[in-house]
Amino acid sequence: MSTVSLPASSSAPRRRRRRRRHVPWGVYALLAIFSVLFLFPIYYLVVGSFETPADTLNGLRAAAPSHLTFANYHSLSQQFFSSTITGSLQGFYTVSTLVSLIVVVGGMIVNSLAGYALARMKFRGRKTLLLLIIVLVIIPFQAIAVPLYYMLSGLRNTVVVQALPFIGSAFSVYLFYTFFLNLPPQLEEAARIDGAGPWRTFLQIILPNAKPAFASVAILSFIQIWSSYLWPLMMTSQPNVYPLSIAIGNLLKQQSTPNYGEMFAFGVLLVVPMAAFFLVFQRWFIRSVASLAVKG
Amino acid sequence: MSEIVLRDVSKIYDNGYHAIHNIDLEVKEGEFMVVVGPSGCGKSTLLRMVAGLETISDGEISIGGEVVNDLTPGERDLAMVFQNYALYPHMTVEKNIGYSLRLRKLPKEEIKRRVAEAAEILSLTEYLSQRPGRLSGGQRQRVAMGRAIVREPKAFLMDEPLSNLDAKLRVQMRSEILQIQRRVGVATLYVTHDQVEAMTMGDRVTVLRAGVLQQCDTAQALYDRPRNVFVASFVGSPSMNLLYAELGPDGTSLRVGSQNLEVPDTLFAQRPNLRAYLGRELVVGIRPEDLTMAGDGQTLVGRVGHIEALGSELIVHFGLDARNYVVEDKGGSAEEAEELLEETALTQHVRNVARVAPRSSVVTGDQVPFRVSMERAHFFDLASGNAIW
Amino acid sequence: MVTLTSPVPQRRRRKIWTESRVGLTMLIPGIVLIVVFMLIPFFYSVWLSLHVEIVGSNIPIRSVGLLFYRHLFTDPIFRGIFLKSLENNGIFALVVVPVQTGLAMFLAILVNRNGAFVKFCRTTFFLPVVFPMVLTSLIWKAILAPGPAGMLNAALRVVTFGHFTPQYWLGNVHLALPSIIVLSIWQGTGFQMVIFLAGLQGIPSSHYEAALIDGASRWHLFRDVTLPGLRNTTIFVVMVTTIFSLQVFDQVYLLTQGGPLNATSSVMYLAVSQAYVANNVGQGAAISVVLSFIILLLSLIQRQVLRERVD
Repeated sequence: MSTVSLPASSSAPRRRRRRRRHVPWGVYALLAIFSVLFLFPIYYLVVGSFETPADTLNGLRAAAPSHLTFANYHSLSQQFFSSTITGSLQGFYTVSTLVSLIVVVGGMIVNSLAGYALARMKFRGRKTLLLLIIVLVIIPFQAIAVPLYYMLSGLRNTVVVQALPFIGSAFSVYLFYTFFLNLPPQLEEAARIDGAGPWRTFLQIILPNAKPAFASVAILSFIQIWSSYLWPLMMTSQPNVYPLSIAIGNLLKQQSTPNYGEMFAFGVLLVVPMAAFFLVFQRWFIRSVASLAVKG
Repeated sequence: MSEIVLRDVSKIYDNGYHAIHNIDLEVKEGEFMVVVGPSGCGKSTLLRMVAGLETISDGEISIGGEVVNDLTPGERDLAMVFQNYALYPHMTVEKNIGYSLRLRKLPKEEIKRRVAEAAEILSLTEYLSQRPGRLSGGQRQRVAMGRAIVREPKAFLMDEPLSNLDAKLRVQMRSEILQIQRRVGVATLYVTHDQVEAMTMGDRVTVLRAGVLQQCDTAQALYDRPRNVFVASFVGSPSMNLLYAELGPDGTSLRVGSQNLEVPDTLFAQRPNLRAYLGRELVVGIRPEDLTMAGDGQTLVGRVGHIEALGSELIVHFGLDARNYVVEDKGGSAEEAEELLEETALTQHVRNVARVAPRSSVVTGDQVPFRVSMERAHFFDLASGNAIW
Repeated sequence: MVTLTSPVPQRRRRKIWTESRVGLTMLIPGIVLIVVFMLIPFFYSVWLSLHVEIVGSNIPIRSVGLLFYRHLFTDPIFRGIFLKSLENNGIFALVVVPVQTGLAMFLAILVNRNGAFVKFCRTTFFLPVVFPMVLTSLIWKAILAPGPAGMLNAALRVVTFGHFTPQYWLGNVHLALPSIIVLSIWQGTGFQMVIFLAGLQGIPSSHYEAALIDGASRWHLFRDVTLPGLRNTTIFVVMVTTIFSLQVFDQVYLLTQGGPLNATSSVMYLAVSQAYVANNVGQGAAISVVLSFIILLLSLIQRQVLRERVD
């Protein structure tokens, strides 16, 4: 089924010719069906956000609306007019962006250093620490959310607290650890012989050669933090510190007769930065997820 | 410029593995010293201890008269060429070569000048702005050399620098490395598992086995007077034929399998200690080129196995009814040794090799008399493996 | 030769402890954060599960031993909910793990070729991964909306020429969990597909060529080259999917709140709702701890079993 090139063999020229002309129509048909299935919800989201409330929930006609309007977006900006009372769209964006930035940048720094130390430095307790990291990887966040809530309740309704528990990540440390482990140690040895100390070696030799690992961690933690819901739900009760996910979740949960058009518009606003980011850096996204498999 | 001196150096790893046993070694100023041995013999460990990449468990290493045991690799002022070159992939050739100078905070012009000079010597000038990823194996090898010479270090360390190159390039780079070393004139410690490389490159060659220094001498001396049966079998290609033999009680004959060789008196004059072995079993070693098919004299009759025609000579494999002496850990790991033993069992009947003149009329399956030059034979003690002189 | 101006080194025995000190400095920020925000909360959670505390009251905290753990299996009312949630998680995992893994592998094989359309499909399949669960829930809530106006109901009606009776997907005891399963698969498959894609591309083409020369059919190629080549990838994907399956929370909380009649309640949802909504912190903590151990145990067993079977 995969892209297999037949070995060039002069004894079977007919077969080769046939193969060159062969178009895998069956594969294309399957791909088309699955694409429609996967794409449809996204299409519905985008189109629905430009429909009138009556059209959005109107059977199959919602997929082919008679006319499109910006009304939902307009109404959203009307609804979220004040940063303190209702929260503002701009405010939600700012909070989500800040939290993501702290987690992604902070996480890259502390986790890469820890992963590097675990992979390369010799110190007592290294193996124990590594085991601890591996065990911690599988503990779900929800399992520790409640005690964390108690520990950090003093910081409720701040931006920092939304990021704090996610900066240090056992998963990221483990990812960096495996990456550094697979980096040839000769590079560092050469640097040491050239006279570089451990910090300089890390910054000037390791960092430039670990871009894929950093990209992986950045992207994966970005996906995770941008989407996080439970933790900000527990830690925020004031609209001025709501991230996007909470604002939209509230809309979803509070309305007894949901206005889907409006929520779709909000959803588009939530996902557009992420999707744009993904489409631009698609190769990196895919590579970063793919890199996870290495540790299998 | 300075010399490298190892005094009673040992390495014992945390897990108790004793990698290096009390080695004394001196690499003189400007000398090209090759350390050779089968894989796993500890030669790389030894080099890395000199470099400062491994701690020294016992003994003392000094460079240029200064004990360096407690210095970091950077402080030892050495240059090292790695097997896989360890070029920094994200730096251009120029940056790669100049990195150590920049760390030493040399003036910019000085760095530029030195890098340019090194590039000139190595004909890398046109590649200075490229990254290592785009270079060929030989060019990478040169960049690694450039990184070493630009330092003007106290000593060069090279860890199998040619083993990643193809055979033809390897031969060419051997002489290039030698030329550069002569030009720079610093003490060089060069590690390889390839005994041909060792013999052709080293001013002196040190043979290492299981962390123990076997012999350190010039290539010719190693070849002519190996101190023990391991060195004898390791040095030279094809390697020396080693056979169990028994010296007659009166010292006139040597029994090899069912055949007898006459022993000339001169042999005992050259090797006075051989008298102690009258009537005893020992190991006799005969180099392949000391077995000829022409002329007359003492002969051993063997049954010819396969023949390698190399053009300039014939390598004739043949079997004798004598037992071959097998040096077990010629090739590192236990598995390899086991394989070797199995192979031995299979090919018992054609374990011996002679190098004979080309176009000799010899055919597989023939019974052929090989003339033996007894004066050039080697004798080894059966128990210790030491050469008898 | 020029002797470089390296300072005359003093006698010192510093290489080793310098390195371990640098190592510790590098470790500390990350490890401290992980310990403070993961390990300590976990132990705290164990502690909470052994104590009772009435939030906001002056009644002193007191130890209750394994009471909350016993509750899970003995309390007449609670036991039913807990076991139902466990069962839901089990069903969820038993469906999602094989279906999602299989679908991901299938799609990966389909898109492991060149061409603009294939590339487009690859993007399409991966796109839902960047969708936050909040948004996924929102979209699917609309798709699964009850009555003839709901997208899915309308579509099924057209396909069956009007014979299909509109369903209340998320409100029906029998349909709610399958609905949650479907939207979870939609969101998660792309992630696994990409991992499989990487696995496929890691199989050397010489393996396929050798098999072709041996006269292997497509099916043989798949069975004898592709599948064994994806062994490690599959182990990893199955493990990750299982762990995710046991942690299901967001979609349940957002779409059904565990209902109807606990038909979609998951263990994680139960734990959080006990602790956070019902103010029964100790009980919630006990559930979390049990779940963590289940996950730990499963990953250990799974690793072992998969390894043995393939070897």
